[in-house]
Amino acid sequence: MKPVHNSKRETDLQIIGEWIEPGSRVLDLGCGRGVLLENLRQKRQVNGIGVDTDVNKVESCVKRGVPVYQGDAETLLKTFERAHFDWVVLSRTVQELENPATVIEEALRVGKRLAVGFANHGYWRNRLCTLLSGSPARNEIHPAPWPMQRPHNPVSIAEFEEFCKEKGLRIIKHKYLGGDWKSELSFRPSLRAAYALYALGSEG
Amino acid sequence: MNDSFPHDLPNEEPGEVGLVRWQDYVCRDAFTFECGSTIPGFTLRYETYGRLNAARDNAILITHALSGDHHCAGVHSIRDGKPGWWNNLIGPGKAVDTNQYFVICSNCLGGCQGSTGPSSKNPQTGKSYGLDFPVITIRDMVNAQRLLLEKELGIASLYAIIGGSMGGMQVLQWMIDYPDYVQRVIALATTGRQSAQAIAFNEVGRSAIMQDPGWQGGAYGAGAGPNVGLSVARMMAHITYLSDKGLEEKFGRSRKEGSGGERFGAEFEVESYLHYQGQSFINRFDANTYLYFTKALDRFDLYGEGGRMEDSFANVKSRVLVTGFTSDWLYPPEQNRAIVHALLRCGKPATYAQLDMSLGHDSFLVHAPELYRLISGFLAN
Repeated sequence: MKPVHNSKRETDLQIIGEWIEPGSRVLDLGCGRGVLLENLRQKRQVNGIGVDTDVNKVESCVKRGVPVYQGDAETLLKTFERAHFDWVVLSRTVQELENPATVIEEALRVGKRLAVGFANHGYWRNRLCTLLSGSPARNEIHPAPWPMQRPHNPVSIAEFEEFCKEKGLRIIKHKYLGGDWKSELSFRPSLRAAYALYALGSEG
Repeated sequence: MNDSFPHDLPNEEPGEVGLVRWQDYVCRDAFTFECGSTIPGFTLRYETYGRLNAARDNAILITHALSGDHHCAGVHSIRDGKPGWWNNLIGPGKAVDTNQYFVICSNCLGGCQGSTGPSSKNPQTGKSYGLDFPVITIRDMVNAQRLLLEKELGIASLYAIIGGSMGGMQVLQWMIDYPDYVQRVIALATTGRQSAQAIAFNEVGRSAIMQDPGWQGGAYGAGAGPNVGLSVARMMAHITYLSDKGLEEKFGRSRKEGSGGERFGAEFEVESYLHYQGQSFINRFDANTYLYFTKALDRFDLYGEGGRMEDSFANVKSRVLVTGFTSDWLYPPEQNRAIVHALLRCGKPATYAQLDMSLGHDSFLVHAPELYRLISGFLAN
């Protein structure tokens, strides 16, 4: 499988980076090697903490100078009071959560805003891939064949927006991106968008 | 200072601190303990490795655990087969790189390895302090170290402090009491307060010492003392520093060679290992210091009266790395996590990492490349 193209790696970095106001308090759930937070700390002077379960990724964060918490997001979220953070970020993480509904609701309790970015499973190429191969789509987020793949729970734009509606989560803004994860589109995103980003807030 | 001569020795192994000598800092001013009692002065024994730079901003303090001492790296003579207790971590090119940092480690106040403690002579009576020595706390240890760093070594601020277990408690106390003095702290396998279980184990150790007739109410003379009690205390405590899995991997049920003659003699390797630990401890440790230090551990409580560690952490300015070890059941991962939870709730930039090693509480002392990478990575920023 081809490695994820660098410009695609930077999608969340650029868009979420623009949404987050300078000096914000940020919690990045599933922070990986800490690239997004390193960037936000340098460019937006945020006070940021990453969370990841993988000790190697935690090591990379430490090397970058990014504060990080090794452990389970659900457990950590419980320790914070309401609106402790200005932003909670789920950048390409939501498809790997064990209990996405709980984490999203908890994230919107401890954070005033929640930024979510994910690859749209309903994107036509993913649909085609599944249709033709009979197996789950492989893409930039899920590059490995199943024996090497981490457990994941692919999500589509339609499902995600339905979930927000049901739970009364307000979509403050969104961006739908084409196959290059760069050019914006608005017509039939459920089928045409390869990547989607949302800024959510609790209703009211 | 001993920082110049190790580098001048020929045939020195690369990557080792090499030959070191301890130093004594003698404070001639009265020292007041947290409990309010005063002693007329004190000595702290310490070692240093590497060189203090011209800006005097590359100093790292190492704080030791209950039975540790000031000798944490290098050797005391060429024939000395046993280097300092954290030699795997500290040295040229190692995680705590002595080519880059000036490393200081002192024996704690109240100790028995050259620093003033219960076995030292009380200048007012000419006899050992014994139980006249004031109650000692983790904060007292920190305050004495602070005098060493400022008055003796002229260090205006610390690049970092690193310590595990009781050393980790000192690290936390340092960052709380001297927020402007400490830039980075690394606390390993530690706790904001001990659990009932940890206190319970300490009490068994103290009982073994105090019920030994040799203890004599703490007034035993030099060369004498509650050796049986101290050795039993150490044997028991040593089990709490390891883990079921670690003991199984190291000893299993393997038998001691030539055993079987005595009905109740040491028959398994693990038994003779513990006896060895107990016996070697009485040659290097003072029973009264053991009592004082275990009480300092038991009373250490960052939760305070409000029951919230956040109250202790409000003024912290250091960058913090806390590391727990999965197999540590004395100060388990959750207690290490709790420290970071509280710091994060205060909005402080703290990091929590957890290493999956099988050796229990003492995991922080053994060869572990993943720990080295965490520490060197944290120090580099």
